[in-house]
Formats: sequence, structure tokens, C-alpha cells
Amino acid sequence: MRLAGKRALITGGRQGIGRGIAEAFRNEGAAVTICGRGPRPKGLAEDIIWHTLDVTDAAAVEELAWTTDGTDVLVNNAGVQVEKTVPDSTDVDWDAVIGTNCKGVFNLCRAYIPRMPEGSSITNIGSISGQAADPSMALYNASKAFVHGLTRSIAVDHGPQIRCNAICPGWIETGMLEAGFDLSADPQAARKDALSRHAARRFGKPADIAAMAVWLASDEAAFATGQLFTVDGGLTAASPINTGLF
Amino acid sequence: MMLEGKTALITGGRGGIGRAIAARFLREGARVYAADLTPEGSLAAHDEDGSIFLKLDVTRESDAIAAMEQVAGEVGQLDILVNAAGIEIEKTIEDTSLEEWNLSFAVNATGTFLTSKYALPLLRKAAATGRTASVINFGSYDGFIADPGLAAYCATKGAVHALTRAMACDHGPEGIRVNAICPGYVDTPMLQSFFTGEGSGGDGKTIDQLQQAVRDVHPTRTYGTPEDIANLVNWLASDEARYASGQLWVLDGGLSAQVQQMKL
Repeated sequence: MRLAGKRALITGGRQGIGRGIAEAFRNEGAAVTICGRGPRPKGLAEDIIWHTLDVTDAAAVEELAWTTDGTDVLVNNAGVQVEKTVPDSTDVDWDAVIGTNCKGVFNLCRAYIPRMPEGSSITNIGSISGQAADPSMALYNASKAFVHGLTRSIAVDHGPQIRCNAICPGWIETGMLEAGFDLSADPQAARKDALSRHAARRFGKPADIAAMAVWLASDEAAFATGQLFTVDGGLTAASPINTGLF
Repeated sequence: MMLEGKTALITGGRGGIGRAIAARFLREGARVYAADLTPEGSLAAHDEDGSIFLKLDVTRESDAIAAMEQVAGEVGQLDILVNAAGIEIEKTIEDTSLEEWNLSFAVNATGTFLTSKYALPLLRKAAATGRTASVINFGSYDGFIADPGLAAYCATKGAVHALTRAMACDHGPEGIRVNAICPGYVDTPMLQSFFTGEGSGGDGKTIDQLQQAVRDVHPTRTYGTPEDIANLVNWLASDEARYASGQLWVLDGGLSAQVQQMKL
């Protein structure tokens, strides 16, 4: 049990990657609290505590930090995605993406850092899209680059008390990914094309990201801080040109 | 005229990119030594362009010494060294023979080392005049991310990137700047060989169709010309770039700024 005795808070743990991290942390012995905007999700293990929280609400985040005092593992996973270019993005899109992905992470870090005990760790969920661009995802790409920059800043400012790292997932099998394929003209061909661009020849699972999150939260990662850990099945190690597919 | 009064030596100076650099340097007023295995280099023929041909096999230490002796005797200093000579073996590591691996490193990495090593005294003399001397190595975007079936090439370019930083660190205090250009797809004989060779999947498509498909992956919807590369080499060689050193300059039409483009 690599996280025995640790108290973890994960934002956005309702589904997908966040849920995967919550379950993995629980399996490794951590006391887990997760939060999200809606009611408690169905099927959640009874010993996982749920709080309804909008991460963009600084006062509510401050209150949660007080309620969950003693947290020594913080995972900023909550995020939203809007698929638009810059001229197509509205003020509402800006508030949604920057509000959750940037201000939300900031709110959590600002509220928790002063309370976190020595040896704590913060793991932010960045993205491969924060390093190289996905088309028509302008605000999302930029918001993840913000997360990467904030990650390094926190590591520099708050070491050695607190370690701070980011995980950059690639394509992870979630409802969102399936919906994307369903929209294409030939979902089967799209899926095949996308798979062949992964050295691993599969997409990621929430458990793949959770495995890295467990390690980063554990004391095995005591010397890891200020870094971006890409877990993408080899996608970004390869050039965008793959002549084998033409 | 950005390079007036300067002397430049370009290895691979009669190759696709090397020729464009030589032509640009000449227009900017430099004295240009085009060093290559033959006067034609990797192309079929060569028209006189005003550059001085120097026979140089970059893998041979004696060739590097002789080339620098000639420049020393004729000019006495070297302001600009461009290490553009390079080869590309289009294979995975499994298919690459030890000879091919060693040849890749001999030309791309050792060649950059040897030419730079013996150019240093002449570069120092140029720097002593108060203008910086400039070394421009050829890395590649393949030194950051991999094209399939180019293992040894990718590895040599990664080596050139690290060597570039090391040289910049060691010789910056002497007034010698060292940078690397990291081209993406540039229309050269090497690229055409890649399209017709084992590196390409082909899939029954014509070379033209394949090339169009490759262009379409670029945000600029085209790949580069040797002149595009020469434009940045010229700037790095010039005094305008006097504060630029130790960097890897990717010039790829935006190719590596994006995540792989799935056909969705």
C-alpha cells in the first residue's frame, strides 16, 4: 500500500481520469476525497468522500480546504475542453476554459499550499496539447500550457516542503474520445488511423494515468518535482508525418 | 550586404541546402569556401557561382586539417563555419548494419566535431577582430521527434544538438557563437531519396501524391526550400545575431508545433 496514511483530494473525480485516480489512490491505502459540480456520482466506493464544488468559486474552494485540513496529496484534474479556434471562441468559452483549467487550479493551489504539511505533493493534469497544438483547441491548449508553467513555479517556490509535478496525458479512452470518433465520416477508419499513430498501438486508459499519479503521490517520487510527465503511448515521440499512413 | 568582409566555410557546400547557403552568403558579400566530396556534391552538375571549392571528406581528420590550412594561407581567419554535410540511412535499428551506423555518426556527428575542432584557431582569429565568429551546425527536427525508419539519423541529430550546446558553452567566452538549425522537410535530393526509398510506406501512391500528402500535414501546407533554410543561416552568421548562441532553431513550417494529425 504505497499511499497508506496519505489524505488525498482530487478535483473532478466524477468520471474518466479523475475517477481512475481516485480508485487507484484508494486501492493504495489513501483516504480519498473527490469533488465536482454535480451530486455524488453513482457507484462510488462508500469510503470515498464527495464534495459538491465549483473550482472557479474561490470562497467555496477556501471552505473546502478548511474542511479537508490535513490533505497532503492534491490532484488538480478538473478540466473542460472547448473545440474552437481563437476567432470562434466566445467570452463564455473563455470563462469556461480559463475559469476551470487555469483559475480553478490556481484557486486550489492558493487555498491548499499554506495548509499542506511538509512532504506533501501536488499533481496537476496538464496535457500533450500544452506542449504541441491540437487543431481547433486554442483556449484548451493555452490553458494547459498555463498549468505547466504554474507547476514549475509552485515546485520552485514551495520546495522542499511541497513537490509539484504535472502529468501530460495523450489520448485516453473516455466518453469524450468515443464521441469524437462517432462524429467522423468513417469512425472505424478514424480509429484505425489514430491507433497506428501510437507506438503502443492502443489508447490510454484512466488507469494508465492513475498509475503515474500514484507514483508521483508516493514517497518513491521524493526527488521528482517541477517536471512534466508525458503518458501518451508514444504519440508525441513521433513526427506528425507518418508516411506509412498515406 | 550582411556578411561583407566575412569568410565562410560550408561543409556539404555543394549539396541541396549547402548550395543555397553558399549562394546567399555570396550575395551578402562573403568569401565562400564550398567544401564537399566532389565539386558537384549530391547533385548532378554545378555551375560556377563564385564559391571556392574545397575537397573535404568530413570524416577524415587529415582533410579537415588541410582545408583549414588552405583557408589560413589564403585569408588567415574564418568568420563563419556551417556544418551542413550529412547523410541519412533510412532504416530501423534492426536493419541498420554496424557499418551504416558508424558511417552515419562519422559524417553527421564526427564530421561536425572534426571540422569545428580544426576551424577553432581560425574562428578565434575572426573573433579577435571584435566581431563574433559563428558556427552553424545542422541538427534536425528528427533530433526531437522521430520519423519512422530513420533511427541512426535521429540519433546523430540528437548528438549534434547536444554538441551544439556544449560548443556554445565552451567557446562563447572566446567570441564564438554556436547554433544549430533544425530543418523539417526541405526539398533536397535527400528528401527525394526519402520519398523513393525504404523510409516511405508508399501504399501504391505516386511520388507526387505522397509529396502532396506530406505537404498537407504542415500548417504552412508546403515544405521548405533550401532558400528558407539559407535565410536563417544567413541571419545566424551575421552580426545581427551577435546575442544568439547555444540554441536549436527549428525551421519546419510549423510541423512539430502540432500533435499528430489523425484523419478524423
